[in-house]
Amino acid sequence: MKIVVCIKQVPATNNAKIDPETKRIVREGLEAILNPFDTYAVEEAVQLREKLGGEVVVLSMGPEKAGLALRECISAGADRAVLLSDRAFGGSDTWATSYVLSKAIQKIGDVDLVICGKQAIDGDTAQVGPGIAAHLGWTQAAFVMKVVDASATGLRVQRMHEDGYDVCDVDYPAVVTVVKDINSPRIPSLRGRMAATKAEIPVWHPDDIGTDLALIGLNGSPTRVVKTQPPPARNTVTQVMFGSPQESAHALVRELRKRNLL
Amino acid sequence: MRHHIENKVYHVEILPPKQESEKLDADLATFAEKYARVMDSGYCACITDNAMGHLAFQGTEMIAELDLPVHPEQVMIHLNTFHTLASLREILDACKAKGIKYLLVISGDGSERLPKLEPSDIGATGVLSVTSVELLRYIGREYPGDFVLGVAFNPYEPADHEFEKMERKMAAGATFVITQPLIERNAQVDALLAKYPDVPVIVEAWMSKKLHLLSEAVGYTIPEDTAFDPIETLKLLHRTYPKCGVYLSLLGFKTQYPLISETWT
Repeated sequence: MKIVVCIKQVPATNNAKIDPETKRIVREGLEAILNPFDTYAVEEAVQLREKLGGEVVVLSMGPEKAGLALRECISAGADRAVLLSDRAFGGSDTWATSYVLSKAIQKIGDVDLVICGKQAIDGDTAQVGPGIAAHLGWTQAAFVMKVVDASATGLRVQRMHEDGYDVCDVDYPAVVTVVKDINSPRIPSLRGRMAATKAEIPVWHPDDIGTDLALIGLNGSPTRVVKTQPPPARNTVTQVMFGSPQESAHALVRELRKRNLL
Repeated sequence: MRHHIENKVYHVEILPPKQESEKLDADLATFAEKYARVMDSGYCACITDNAMGHLAFQGTEMIAELDLPVHPEQVMIHLNTFHTLASLREILDACKAKGIKYLLVISGDGSERLPKLEPSDIGATGVLSVTSVELLRYIGREYPGDFVLGVAFNPYEPADHEFEKMERKMAAGATFVITQPLIERNAQVDALLAKYPDVPVIVEAWMSKKLHLLSEAVGYTIPEDTAFDPIETLKLLHRTYPKCGVYLSLLGFKTQYPLISETWT
């Protein structure tokens, strides 16, 4: 079984600045981390490989330094990684990005399953996973919170909804996006870390994966960002209840009732 | 463990490299060097488990990957409750396979990235979370007779609470105790020794001059301008607690290590 996990390196901050002209996040000077939701995708892929055998390939589109995030995935158990990096990819929206990723998945070949985190914490769109499925014409299941059963032909999964979950069967080839309830990502082992340090990560360019240049980068991105702004800072107030545990508990209940929270 | 004390065997803490290390090869070499030195001295190497919640590599994988020799009397592995059941089993199985018998079982500090054992994972009932007590019971049940289990004693916690916990730890299978760092005689440690005269107690000596870290460890603020000489404090602890073993935390291997053998006379 061949599983591809699509991951993204994102800014490690909730205090990102927006470029007023391009309306995009200013990434310079920000520490970059592996998108937290993607760690669950990697863990699920590794668990499926442990159960069914096969190979886990991690894939990312981004600048050269995104190789660090790919190495982190190898530390966590992935077998190998591929980086898609080229100036021509720059400025791609979620549609163009999912197109590029789908072309890379086709080049990897014989892929049974693609797993993505439900969304990246910088864009929060949750569109890339479903976009990949659309480009490939594969079955998809989004917001998967549990793999109930996994076999060589497909998965039975629970999908999270706002008011509960449903269960559906997904035949391969398929794309699933996962939420953090699905597992507890393992802490990378020393052996994994050493393998990651030594791993050779090929870098693929548009020609390598046969992309249509009209469909990538800014030109290939139908999304037009008209306006973006950081969300307003939360106006939180901290109140400490003093006294004995009983007194402070009573005071807390009074306060919550006063605010109609109880 | 009693014979460690009788034979003046220091328990020397060694911290494995952190997960975020950017110079892993050098850190691995340093670890191996420290470990070899402790072995050569006949002391006991005590390898921490994500100390202070900092993600680090496990002692068992360090020993395996670096192919370090294990002398059963000379290795102690710290084990806390911040693991998945699979990784807990992996660690315990590796300890058993390598002949490591001393485990220091602690609740641990944890961190956002570390998973926490659930009571249902280890068959614990009637508790909301797993502490060292439940972990002791699990190890005793699943690995009967394989390990010698120790626990921590914090003399800076309220006495009633700490002694009540200690009773539960002893009932769950603990056979030796290591204290939090001491810098002088401590009434609660005296009480511990009086209450458990047959249990080997190892007092922790803080060998770093970083007093802000010591403040974190003991739970109260030690002024930065406090005159603190770790080697003199170590001598004081030997004089004060002659029937106890000594655990050396954050020992300086370059300057302090050559001095410690002369302090336990």
